[in-house]
Amino acid sequence: MATITTSLNIATQPAVITSKSQPARLACPVRLNNPWNLGSRATNRMVNLRPVKATPEGVISDKVEKSIKDAEETCAGDPVSGECVAAWDEVEELSAAASHARDKKKAEGSDPLEEYCKDNPETDECRTYDN
Amino acid sequence: MAAVSTIYSTQALNSTHFLTSSPSSSTSKQVFFYRRHQSQTNRRFNTIITCAAQQTVVIGLAADSGCGKSTFMRRLTSVFGGAAEPPKGGNPDSNTLISDMTTVICLDDYHSLDRTGRKEKGVTALDPRANDFDLMYEQVKALKSGIAVEKPIYNHVTGLLDAPELIQPPKILVIEGLHPMFDERVRELLDFSIYLDISNEVKFAWKIQRDMAERGHSLESIKASIEARKPDFDAFIDPQKQYADAVIEVLPTQLIPDDNEGKVLRVRLIMKEGVKYFSPVYLFDEGSTISWIPCGRKLTCSYPGIKFNYEPDTYFDHEVSVLEMDGQFDRLDELIYVESHLSNLSTKFYGEVTQQMLKHADFPGSNNGTGLFQTIVGLKIRDLYEQLIANRATVPAEAAKA
Repeated sequence: MATITTSLNIATQPAVITSKSQPARLACPVRLNNPWNLGSRATNRMVNLRPVKATPEGVISDKVEKSIKDAEETCAGDPVSGECVAAWDEVEELSAAASHARDKKKAEGSDPLEEYCKDNPETDECRTYDN
Repeated sequence: MAAVSTIYSTQALNSTHFLTSSPSSSTSKQVFFYRRHQSQTNRRFNTIITCAAQQTVVIGLAADSGCGKSTFMRRLTSVFGGAAEPPKGGNPDSNTLISDMTTVICLDDYHSLDRTGRKEKGVTALDPRANDFDLMYEQVKALKSGIAVEKPIYNHVTGLLDAPELIQPPKILVIEGLHPMFDERVRELLDFSIYLDISNEVKFAWKIQRDMAERGHSLESIKASIEARKPDFDAFIDPQKQYADAVIEVLPTQLIPDDNEGKVLRVRLIMKEGVKYFSPVYLFDEGSTISWIPCGRKLTCSYPGIKFNYEPDTYFDHEVSVLEMDGQFDRLDELIYVESHLSNLSTKFYGEVTQQMLKHADFPGSNNGTGLFQTIVGLKIRDLYEQLIANRATVPAEAAKA
């Protein structure tokens, strides 16, 4: 069977450990060294304060409306400037987000049983017999 | 599920180590051997261990619309089975979709500038200056090698970069967004790439349908938004077309004169010739030029009918085959009739394309070429995946003999 004679521990997940020109990497699971990331690791407050519910749709619609007004104002001055283009790009992004939110709302819709069954398909109420 | 491994390590300079793992279940894939270089000396480690339980297949999809929630993604994940959903228990505004076999990553997550940053600098999200290609390359490479990554989240609602989420390497990784083929290093990592090319007229018609319901929007604002983004789009996004293995081009129909509603569409599937593991779909005779109207005596269609075209062509100096469909499907039997005349579809059974299309009859494009070609591309990707996996399983066995 397996005889591990070294002090190396092989975790269930695969890892690449090399001794060559590359610096020795950590064992699995590997975390990439990203400077912007290290700060949040030290203080985990942000991580624990994740929102439980997604942003409601009315909020997005307000944002879209506001962004359109902003874009029109910015572009009234100078139609080809970077600010104008960026403003209309923001409008596009928010419109896309609004339409996704609308689709999601329509898809999830009205049936609480469907929602429950999505997460718990093995329960008695949710079992389907296809064949 | 854990692989049984035997590890031997010695301090000797000249020695050969063998690391074998016996496949204990269907999830572990390969038997691999390792031989340490005899000329290397190293203070720290004397053993080099490589393990790869899976090799991820990476697919790139360039699309303007949005991320992960698009119809194409849902059709693709459906071909592999299972529904794709955002990661459970994580950030609800995450753009990632995870199903059994696939994980879809939104490239917007690699924005280096958030919305305020872009506004200050006066750049759009289309501009490469707003994206961190180094991070994108690093993380895609890591996922492809089977290493989990902490990927940032770009929240489309707030426009901020949220705390990162952990992404496990999947069997199939799909990167969807504006710049999958922009950076050359990322392009090298892609096993297959698709570009969704929507023509300006169709884009305008779709955006009107999407945004007119939104208060605050008017025809002028929609038009202005498209016009403002066009220069950046043409400069940065459009050139990616030439690198794609398959391009789905959506154009206004030619069957209805002066149609500007964008309901009936002419869709062209441009397939690059000579791509490994990818055999283009053809109609009747490969490499010939065919024009086909299926509606006639055997099949009755309603206005405006269906017209197919197939021909070889050149696209950005590449040999391609183009399959084109103009018109709409009205009934199930039209769909199955068309499917029975197309060849090289990579279906596992007769009628699979029709079945997939019917499964998602409520998706947009289910009655025209967009749905049909997206489904076909999905089947082609499945075929490519299976060939790649089969090929990778045989390669280590050959290497061991060497």
